[in-house]
Amino acid sequence: MIRINHILKELFRNIFRNPGTAFGALLSLTLLFLLFDIFWVAAGTSEQFYDDLLYDLQMEVFIAEDAEEISLSQTKEVLLRIEGIRSVTYVSKDVARQQLIDLVGVDLLVGYDSLNPLPRSWQLTFASEYQTRERLDAIEREINTFDDVSHVQYSRNWLEKAERTKSMILDIGMVLGLLILLTALFNSANNIRLMARARAVGFYQMRLIGAGKLFLALPFMLEGFLMSGISAAAGWGLLYYWKGKIEFTWLEIIFPAVDDIILFCLATAVLGVISGYFGIRRLLKV
Amino acid sequence: MSDEIIVELNNVFLKSDRGAPVFQDLNFKLVAGRSAIITGAAGSGKSMLAELLVGRRFAYQGSVELFGQVVRRSKKRTIRKVRRKIGGIGGIFDLVPSFTVAENIMFPMVLVGERKKVRKERLLNMLTEFSLLKQATERPDRLTRVERTLVQFARASVANQPLIIVDEPLAGLDQKTYERIFEYMIKISCSGRSAIFLSAETLPREIPNSDSYQLINGALV
Repeated sequence: MIRINHILKELFRNIFRNPGTAFGALLSLTLLFLLFDIFWVAAGTSEQFYDDLLYDLQMEVFIAEDAEEISLSQTKEVLLRIEGIRSVTYVSKDVARQQLIDLVGVDLLVGYDSLNPLPRSWQLTFASEYQTRERLDAIEREINTFDDVSHVQYSRNWLEKAERTKSMILDIGMVLGLLILLTALFNSANNIRLMARARAVGFYQMRLIGAGKLFLALPFMLEGFLMSGISAAAGWGLLYYWKGKIEFTWLEIIFPAVDDIILFCLATAVLGVISGYFGIRRLLKV
Repeated sequence: MSDEIIVELNNVFLKSDRGAPVFQDLNFKLVAGRSAIITGAAGSGKSMLAELLVGRRFAYQGSVELFGQVVRRSKKRTIRKVRRKIGGIGGIFDLVPSFTVAENIMFPMVLVGERKKVRKERLLNMLTEFSLLKQATERPDRLTRVERTLVQFARASVANQPLIIVDEPLAGLDQKTYERIFEYMIKISCSGRSAIFLSAETLPREIPNSDSYQLINGALV
């Protein structure tokens, strides 16, 4: 108990003897974590935006001209049984004509009422986990083997670009996130090292009297824990404050789940403990 | 008084940081309750002997045993335990600058987890015995050299450490302070604990329960 009291006393002595350094460290760590948080929110928001775009992704299965109406209902059943297909909507020649009118604004087929050249088709939508180029290509290949089908079409190029962009954002996010966390680790360790260096003589003496490394390091490790944890929480606090102030009508800002935020703050606090130990490690070699 | 050997150095060879030989075949024994006065010229290795005893330096040949335990570089836990049984004054030993006088004196008791009541009681005894009551809340940088030495004496005695190492306690003191510190050295020697007094000069009077040695050419004679 007495040792715990001593460790806590040392912890607050560290902070209150160097309030400027402690406050500076807190500010710089908050700024770093805020950057990380902003990127996390941006990644979540763009992921949601991407998912919304993909939700409307359709594959058009054009029906052969000579296909009988009777066999079409059977083919539709087969299509619905294919894994990953969420819905199958039949588009008759008339509906296709109406869609064309909606698209271009005028009826291009005036005078061809009895001879509508537009093909019949099925419009397919997919479960979210199947909205990848690889899986859609596999489905496309399978459907192309059906007798009633003339050809299949979907926005492969668009999907390819979208996938590439998403992967790029993720890669950059990973690298940036790692860099920010490493910077936070070194920043925190350096601040603690500077505070500890001023007390090097004291450490030397305490070691000579028989103080253990952990006993001396614990106040600094706790300091790292507090500094990092508080900075991480402050970063999220600022973001939530701004979220209440700023509103986007065209984009929904997606924040991580509260559980994830709590886990993140705890993880940064643990990182702070490690940086606290690294900050003081060299001074304990007596 | 038992015949338990608390310090035993056998055939110790030690080099300085620059590789120059400091101790060559050094042998030394100290029995519990007795003291040793080791005199030697400046640079003879008195402080290095203190460093050797607290596990700050290690012999490259020979063995160092304290309180029945071999002190080696790899035995961190043993070193920590041994250090808690040693009270250090002067030389490599100093006060913790960020602690007050009271905190400095109490620190050895904090390390062994002594109860609050006992701590307070012993602290008060020490502050009274060494006339440091007024300075209890001061930090070391506000103390005179004598006061600092007295605080070290108090710290070295507060947890009843069985061995006290006193490095150059009398150097540069005025006559009055010299006598006062010397009295404390006699008191330690008569307290039933052991002490090693390291000094460049021959002491003016005999210290009871003590044996005298000279550190010459890296060996004790």
